[in-house]
Amino acid sequence: MPEGILCNKTPIKTDEQLKLTLSDSRGTKYYAEMLELEVDSDALWALVQKTLKSRTKTWLEICAHCGLCAESCFLYQVNGRTPKQVPSYKIQSTLGQIVKKKGKVTNEFMRHCMDVAWSQCTCCNRCGMYCPHGIDMGVMFSYLRGLLYSQGFVPWELKIGSGMHRVYRAQMDVTTEDWVETCEWMAEETEEEWPGLEIPVDKQDADIMYTCNAREPKHYPEDVAEAAILFHVAGENWTVPSEGWEQTSLSMFAGDWECCKDNVQNVYDAIERLNPKRAIGTECGHAHRATVIEGPYWTGRPDGLPPRPYIHYVEWLAEALRTGKLKIDPAKRIKEPVTLQDSCNYVRNQGLKDITREIISYIVEPGFFVEMSPNKEHNYCCGGGGGFNGIGMYREQRNVALRKKMDQILDTGCKLVIAPCHNCWDAIRDLEEEYEIGIRWSFLKPLVIGMLDVPEHMLPKDEE
Amino acid sequence: MFKKILLATTGSPASFGAARVAFDMAKRYGSEVTIFHVLGVPTKAFSQVVNDVRTGEEVEVDAEYISWVEEELKTTYAKQFAGAENAKIVITTGAPHREILREARNQDSDLIVMGASSGDNVKYHRGYPGSTLQKVAKAARCPVLTVHRESASYWGGFSSILFGTDFSKQAASAFKFALNTARELDCVLTIFHALDISGKVLDQTQIEENLIVARKRIRETYVPLMGDFKNFDIEVWEGAPYVEIVKLAREKQVDLIVMAHHTRELDAEKAKIGSTVEQVIVRANCPVVSVSKPDKV
Repeated sequence: MPEGILCNKTPIKTDEQLKLTLSDSRGTKYYAEMLELEVDSDALWALVQKTLKSRTKTWLEICAHCGLCAESCFLYQVNGRTPKQVPSYKIQSTLGQIVKKKGKVTNEFMRHCMDVAWSQCTCCNRCGMYCPHGIDMGVMFSYLRGLLYSQGFVPWELKIGSGMHRVYRAQMDVTTEDWVETCEWMAEETEEEWPGLEIPVDKQDADIMYTCNAREPKHYPEDVAEAAILFHVAGENWTVPSEGWEQTSLSMFAGDWECCKDNVQNVYDAIERLNPKRAIGTECGHAHRATVIEGPYWTGRPDGLPPRPYIHYVEWLAEALRTGKLKIDPAKRIKEPVTLQDSCNYVRNQGLKDITREIISYIVEPGFFVEMSPNKEHNYCCGGGGGFNGIGMYREQRNVALRKKMDQILDTGCKLVIAPCHNCWDAIRDLEEEYEIGIRWSFLKPLVIGMLDVPEHMLPKDEE
Repeated sequence: MFKKILLATTGSPASFGAARVAFDMAKRYGSEVTIFHVLGVPTKAFSQVVNDVRTGEEVEVDAEYISWVEEELKTTYAKQFAGAENAKIVITTGAPHREILREARNQDSDLIVMGASSGDNVKYHRGYPGSTLQKVAKAARCPVLTVHRESASYWGGFSSILFGTDFSKQAASAFKFALNTARELDCVLTIFHALDISGKVLDQTQIEENLIVARKRIRETYVPLMGDFKNFDIEVWEGAPYVEIVKLAREKQVDLIVMAHHTRELDAEKAKIGSTVEQVIVRANCPVVSVSKPDKV
């Protein structure tokens, strides 16, 4: 079985292999090796037999090729409505073929599958809502990605991303020490303006255990500080775990099932260890999907639920505003046209559509909120979901994909977009960079902090 | 006092003044200098691509690219390196203000030296308000020395220090730093308060009364802290504080201005005008040190 040094069927499990793969600029050598990568048909077919369950089988069988899913797909819409972008065609011509040919497919075909799975589908699951049979191509593409990953046909950045999760249990090289140090640092930096603020690490039996996205400690620790400020002002009894703090899952984007399970288990172990009343994740969509929606199944939890109630940041924020734990100064509410990006991963996937509007009702002056069209569970993907944002090889396709969101935003006439999801936030940032439509974008945390009506005793003592 | 200096630089001509001062201090006072450069701002989610801060181009950061940047910096500062015993280069990627703060914390730096502006490099901002300097000055545990104008870096060493006070809590730390520096380097120290009358029409008697009060307050607040240090004088007069500080510094041939920094406003739009210290930084003819924390004074 000829396999490459970088491009092979073995996941990245060591720091050495990780650095070696990273040093291959833009994956040049990696993709060159992929051209020679042999498909192990027996292993592929064995894996299909073991993992292709009745639902997916049925879906592949009963698709009537009616084409009703076509218009539901934003990639179909922005790519000149070519039949090649119809969801049912995309999945039938890739996964369908692998099943039909019992895994006897060529290297070239596998590379084609990789292109389709990672650059023609963001697993946004919108098609599933429009299929008369309820066939969800997004779910099937996630499955196909797993098959491709097992054979080593995965974009370079995602091989690395998944390797990061395996080596560091985080999507970026942030160690436990780095993380704890960052929490201390942020507490130190923030407590001057917020006397009494703490970022408690590994506190037992707190009301809340908070988890986040490794990019926050790595590049934007302000986000961790902002979360701390809001918990502090709300008077929450909260903590972060020293281990199991990273909620994201590039392994889910990569199709590295084993790693998905390991990472979620790591978060669940932290919950069991610290015994909080509930867990709350940061403003991230796929991290929520991985740990809250898919995670219980990956880890084989019989009740299909995480070990404790695990909610998305927007759920906590809405609750804090509703119950008055956080008070908004009406004078500081947003008084300009503002729109909201519904993240597929917790809006379409979990139905958290009204809760974000509730937040809007507290922080936006009535009359200034403009809905995108379509919205809520019918909203389109930002254009960068499912790992699309980070893959250099598919940059051009991704930039085309951003056009749908751009048009939606332009139609609202708003210059401010609230995007409570890392991937959406990134995509909208890139959209502005690429198309320069003159918009600003923000997570909820900094917006809310800017509007708080803070109780007198929480403010620093007056200085002259 | 200045054992460890962190020179945060873009490597562009705008930062040459800061480099000159940092290396001059290193040679004069035996400090270690770390030339710290953030070569790119992370972009595109988890990809390995960064926007190079000098060209704005997207680049893939690998060992080769980093060593190329390092060579560039060595060439840029070749002259300075020649006489500096203790200089090293550290290169990283990230949001510049954050990485500067991280490195200063890691090294436990005594002083951060930086240029005040890299111009309007949008790559530095990317959705985060406030300039790099504002954010560093706000959060750094150690004093931050800035050199904005080329002309501000032509002094050799420090002999005359101007401490501008607004009597804030932060000013107490700034004073300690000014006093310790003056003691250590044997400088004359001028303690100055400008009574802010900008935009107000005040009765002259009232102005003069306020001046007397401020002078008395300086004596009560700072003189008891100076012990046997006698090489100081006190000045109080009225005006727009930043103008008066710059004027006095010019008149007295001051070579270091020390002030407190306590702007909370990081919103780029609102902070554009900047605080007094920011205004002084862009106008002064000598380096300006802003102090906001009591840790390293």
